[in-house]
Amino acid sequence: MNEDKLIIETRQLCKNFGPTVALNHVDMKFYRGQITGLIGENGSGKSTITSIVAGMQPATSGEMFYQGKPHKPSTMLEGSKLGIGMIVQEQGYVSGITIAQNIFLGKEGQFRRKGVISRKEMIKAAQKALDDIGCPDIDASWYIDRLNIQDRKLVELARVMAADPEVLVVDETTTALSQRGRDIIYGIMRQMRDADKCVIFISHDLEELMEICDRMVVLRDGNLITSLDREEFDADTIKKHMVGRDIGAKYYRNDWDCALSNEIVLDVKDVTSGSGLLMNFSMQVHKGEILGIGGLSHCGMHELGKVIFGEEKLLTGTVTHVPSGEQITNARQAMRLGLGYVSKDRDKEALVLAASIKDNIASAALDKINQGPFILPAAENAYVNKQVKSLSIKCASINQNVQYLSGGNKQKVVFGKWIGRDGDILILDCPTRGVDNGVKAAMYQLIEDMKAAGKTIIMISEELAELIGMSDRLLILKDGALAGEFMRSPELTDHQIIDCMI
Amino acid sequence: MKKLKDILKDYFPILGLVLVAVIFAILTKGKLIKLSTLQSMLSTVMLTALVSIGSVFVFGSGCFDMSMGGTLCMSTVVGCYAGIATGNVVVMLLACLAVSLLLNILKALFASYVEVPLFIVTIVLGSILSALVLVIMGKETTIYLSNAVRKLPELTPNGLTILNLVVLVLYFGLCVVLFNYTRLGREVKLLGGNPVTFRQTGLNPVRVKLLAFIVAAVGVALAAFVLLMRTRTAGASTGGSMGTDVMVALVLGGMPLTGGPRSRISAGLIGAATITILNTGLTILGLSTAVIQIFRAIVFLGVVYVASMTYRTKLLPR
Repeated sequence: MNEDKLIIETRQLCKNFGPTVALNHVDMKFYRGQITGLIGENGSGKSTITSIVAGMQPATSGEMFYQGKPHKPSTMLEGSKLGIGMIVQEQGYVSGITIAQNIFLGKEGQFRRKGVISRKEMIKAAQKALDDIGCPDIDASWYIDRLNIQDRKLVELARVMAADPEVLVVDETTTALSQRGRDIIYGIMRQMRDADKCVIFISHDLEELMEICDRMVVLRDGNLITSLDREEFDADTIKKHMVGRDIGAKYYRNDWDCALSNEIVLDVKDVTSGSGLLMNFSMQVHKGEILGIGGLSHCGMHELGKVIFGEEKLLTGTVTHVPSGEQITNARQAMRLGLGYVSKDRDKEALVLAASIKDNIASAALDKINQGPFILPAAENAYVNKQVKSLSIKCASINQNVQYLSGGNKQKVVFGKWIGRDGDILILDCPTRGVDNGVKAAMYQLIEDMKAAGKTIIMISEELAELIGMSDRLLILKDGALAGEFMRSPELTDHQIIDCMI
Repeated sequence: MKKLKDILKDYFPILGLVLVAVIFAILTKGKLIKLSTLQSMLSTVMLTALVSIGSVFVFGSGCFDMSMGGTLCMSTVVGCYAGIATGNVVVMLLACLAVSLLLNILKALFASYVEVPLFIVTIVLGSILSALVLVIMGKETTIYLSNAVRKLPELTPNGLTILNLVVLVLYFGLCVVLFNYTRLGREVKLLGGNPVTFRQTGLNPVRVKLLAFIVAAVGVALAAFVLLMRTRTAGASTGGSMGTDVMVALVLGGMPLTGGPRSRISAGLIGAATITILNTGLTILGLSTAVIQIFRAIVFLGVVYVASMTYRTKLLPR
């Protein structure tokens, strides 16, 4: 690569989190006019290096250079003023304020007129930023809480682009986006590259990276493993570099058997949800099946998961646990009836981040590990250790806080929390969101094992390949209603499902 | 192996307590560690600790109670009236308990069912309680147990210290067991850590808040009882600064006021000792109450700031 185009360089960059080495003497270069993909398993250091470059956290040691000058931003705002914009993996917005206020957070001064911030001008400029990225349907004067996760990510994109950055970092954002959102973000990345700017793109989706990037850098356990130019891209080679060994072809289920039991375990009847995203929706769930639920954003599939678990109020209709005949109205009752629920929003809804792995996993089993009124450490540790071992959760100890874990390991903790309960019905909302291929394969195997053990799985997902590869039966939702039903088949294709979705 | 930094972090509250004690022992030229001062401090520590230890359950679950001073005052005054009317120590204790339980259950119900932030509700409740005490007392400014229909037992200073110690040790032990070895303690920390996850894990927030406030009410009632046994009087100013003392104590004891998994029972005890030494030391140095208030506020803000900085850095991406 032409060194004149070099824009960011790290030399011997290190970052430690307590005893964990997140970056180990990394020398990395990023160039103008190029989309550089960062790939690696969870905990490989992808987010760490970009967050240091963007000013979110300092390095433990090492040097950075930006446009040839030493670079050491102390805040993201400082990074942004220097021209580095970043869309973060997790929540990157402030709740309780408007979209316009989020877009110009920390930069409100430009709208000051006679000492007062002009709200009108800020909204106008924010709306332009949204229009520019192709989201005129989002009204900048709304409170951000009114938007779903996908649209909030687009607001973050508008915020970053409004600052006209020289470097755009997209950190594991596309998994939270619908196809429309992904198309928008891909378009912007290409525009940036064509304008001789630099794009750093982090994703677990290898196909996506191979399609979009000009160069790919592989990280493993905080070390830079290799850098590949586009003509060197090869999925198997990259995967091998990521995990440090050959990985087998087994990913989704190999069987095509989709025989359903006659026994119905859940009956969802004429349900209209409080959010209004599900309208008179009905379905039945058979014992022992993997029921896939898919659709575009706003189709109501995520709400369906919450409705079944009693977490969303119903305006009409009922959700009945057929074996007991009870109508499910709250999460406590759902759990008592043997249901479990893995939320899509892992950090906000599924985990207590400041608590330990032990506290999180044991939280769903307090009624199982108690001895009379007491919870004794021996019983609790044994229970948690069993889950940690069976799920191969990478951790220093079970007393480690979950906030220190990588995305994939956090998701394993959530799984451990529910699997340990040994319930009969598990609702998984985007179970492989933001996890690497190794963890994904482990999750799929786990789902297969649960099916083999007679458990019922409801898998809500935005990934068609996952839905086709794992489901016995696939329901597609559109505008809160059932748009189509597909049985497991080797002939089932993405196109058939997309036709049904749109 | 834990790093020295992590070990220091774990023992920061105890180190803070020792540091405050040493500094004030030097500044007061040893007056702080005179036997009479130590005895008087011990009574205050125990009183603050009884309320603070129970408050760990309330604050730990994410409930912000600003009316602990008012609750203690009302409990003491009603207990005193009950003691005067019956001349019976047991009735006096039960009256203290009934009042604190009633008020705390009311707070738990507000925290569970009313969509107004609890700290606002409890600020208002604190004011109402102060006014109610004045209404109940009418023209009297202080009520005396010595006016009881039957003479209530009077303890010697040593007897009082023993009573204080027994009550504190029993209550502390009970709270340690409840917090660390029962479902309630786990649930309190999880609820304070993330109420959404808590609910989605099928746990019952109303039950946890109710139990947390009940445990705290027992601490307040015991504090009211030992206060009555010691001072043998009650009035509208009883327990006046207890609300803020407890909050400062919890923070100095190493617990975030937002609650969650970092809550610990020892915070109530260690913090109560630190704040008492701080108050006593500053008083011995001849500072006015107003200046002491300002000083405590600065210490409080400083500790909260340092604690929140550590917390923020822990949430960075990996």
